[in-house]
Amino acid sequence: MARSRLQAVARNLGCYVLLSPTFILLAVFCFVPFVWAFTTSFYDYEIGGESAFVGLANYGEYLQDPTFWASFWNLLFLTVFSVVVGVVLPFGVAKLIFSLSSERARYVYRIIFLVPIVVPGVAVLMIWGGLVYGDNGLVNEVLRLAGLEGMTYGWLSDPNTVLWAVAFIGFPFASGINILIYYAGLAGIPESVHEAAELDGASGLRKFFAIDVPLVLSQVKLLVILTVIGVVQGFQGMFILTRGGPGFRSMVPGLWMYFNAFSFQRMGYACAIGVVLFLIILVLTVLNLRYFKSSEDVQAAA
Amino acid sequence: MRKRHDIVIHAVLVGIVLLTMVPFVFVINNSLRTNAEIYHSFFGLPGSVESMVRFTWYRLAGQEDRIALRRAEPDGPAKGETRAADLPVEPVGYAEAMGRLWDDLTRGYRYAWKVLRSYMVNTLLVCVATALGVVAIGSISGYVFSRYRFPGSRALFVAVLSLMMIPGVLTLVPSFLLVKQLGLLNSYGVLILPYVAGGQVFAIFLFKGFFDGLPEELFESARLDGASHFALYWHIVLPLSKQVIAVVGVMTILGTWNNFLWPFITNADAAYHVVASGLYLMGQSPAAANLATMFAAYVLSSVPLLVLFVYATQPFMRGVTSGAFKA
Repeated sequence: MARSRLQAVARNLGCYVLLSPTFILLAVFCFVPFVWAFTTSFYDYEIGGESAFVGLANYGEYLQDPTFWASFWNLLFLTVFSVVVGVVLPFGVAKLIFSLSSERARYVYRIIFLVPIVVPGVAVLMIWGGLVYGDNGLVNEVLRLAGLEGMTYGWLSDPNTVLWAVAFIGFPFASGINILIYYAGLAGIPESVHEAAELDGASGLRKFFAIDVPLVLSQVKLLVILTVIGVVQGFQGMFILTRGGPGFRSMVPGLWMYFNAFSFQRMGYACAIGVVLFLIILVLTVLNLRYFKSSEDVQAAA
Repeated sequence: MRKRHDIVIHAVLVGIVLLTMVPFVFVINNSLRTNAEIYHSFFGLPGSVESMVRFTWYRLAGQEDRIALRRAEPDGPAKGETRAADLPVEPVGYAEAMGRLWDDLTRGYRYAWKVLRSYMVNTLLVCVATALGVVAIGSISGYVFSRYRFPGSRALFVAVLSLMMIPGVLTLVPSFLLVKQLGLLNSYGVLILPYVAGGQVFAIFLFKGFFDGLPEELFESARLDGASHFALYWHIVLPLSKQVIAVVGVMTILGTWNNFLWPFITNADAAYHVVASGLYLMGQSPAAANLATMFAAYVLSSVPLLVLFVYATQPFMRGVTSGAFKA
């Protein structure tokens, strides 16, 4: 038995050789950091300094961290906001495009809505930080033009507006690949389903909620989880525009991890924050996969 | 009925497109203006264009004596504080006027290009190397997983897939510790190798899905003709895979081009910075005092992807629309 297995391995040696670049790269650059994230989190470790085993002390300290509640509250706000606008608006736009009768127009719109992805993310953030939200930026200048001088703000420096300002970056949230993914979902719905509904006398809006929404659920599911994972991990916007401030009003856990690692040199503590975020993402992914019905389930039930 | 319906949808969609474009329109407009012009009025057109229009009008109207072309701004990013209207007036010829217009309009772009050029070259190099690596390794492994059964093939594929679940935020700090230990800091390797390692996972997934859909007869007939494994892959599989390659390539280049944090933390040396991290550094540097330079830099940093977009949209869209993304 063991012998025949060995022979099978030997016969397929070519396969293993072909797979080796994949696995060498994965082992070094994915698996090692994955393991180190956990092991380092049990140490008090500074680059160039002593490292001491501290058990779960980093985790205990994080629960007491002054940023802890503020940053998770901000994260919750940003997650809910992003899921609502980042999932709903592109779906609406995809549905509008799909409803056009001209094949050519549908194609052109899909391209137009994709174009903004050519602008690098950092440039988008800096454009919003300076040109849109700046003291002499677009929003304030429009307000001045409208005679609303009193409503001008330092949008990113005022503790009351900073979180909303960060959330609204990218308004009207209707560009990028999300639209294409929904469009593909809508295009995959068989024509016969709509025809049957029309025969039953279903109105446009009713058709939308009874057919389109349930039948693109697998795309919704994918984008919800991708959005949530993206927001939980993301801190680039806050890093570039607000550095978590003023105070901790726009602090998020990822950014605090970054500061601990690369500003305060506390690698162990930073890894512990990373592990906490990983566990949150893991739980959310599992919940999403298990309790969120997919379109296949809906179709099977129908 | 149908027509009316379409017009309403067009109106809504065009409205959304215009809203999306607003910040970018102002970026382009302000990249052609001086600081003084921008601070004086946020919404105005470039002063150099305005005076050129006036210049042309006077010439056409035969009022040569009224020709007065104002020179917008002396060279040097720090001296951008004089408004065109405050500068002395001098009569010049048409060629000279056109030369000055060009000079004024492109000033921001010339400064921005000086700063961005080396970042741009680095980014192109890293993007091309990463995309080639991801496509090559991803397609080979995807092919092996799709077409061959061997001891451990399932387990290995599951192992690859499960790595997709590891979020970047968990591995950011330990990855930094790792590349530091490996002595890779400040090099092209630190920008390329981890990207290929991470990017190939999704690529393998997409390639395997696509190869699974190819009909078995295709391979059988080729095998009967005595084609080798490599010949199968090279002459049959790859030519059929243009769409997947486009999707994987575009996604990889997009991701690499946009990645800011990793190049920012792994390169203390400006020689290895890429556009994303370079833009940020530029924003922190004295060059940022000249607003037009920064706006021009944003425009320039978008051009390469715009070019890629023109060439890759069609296969990319077909690839995405054919249902590569589903949970």
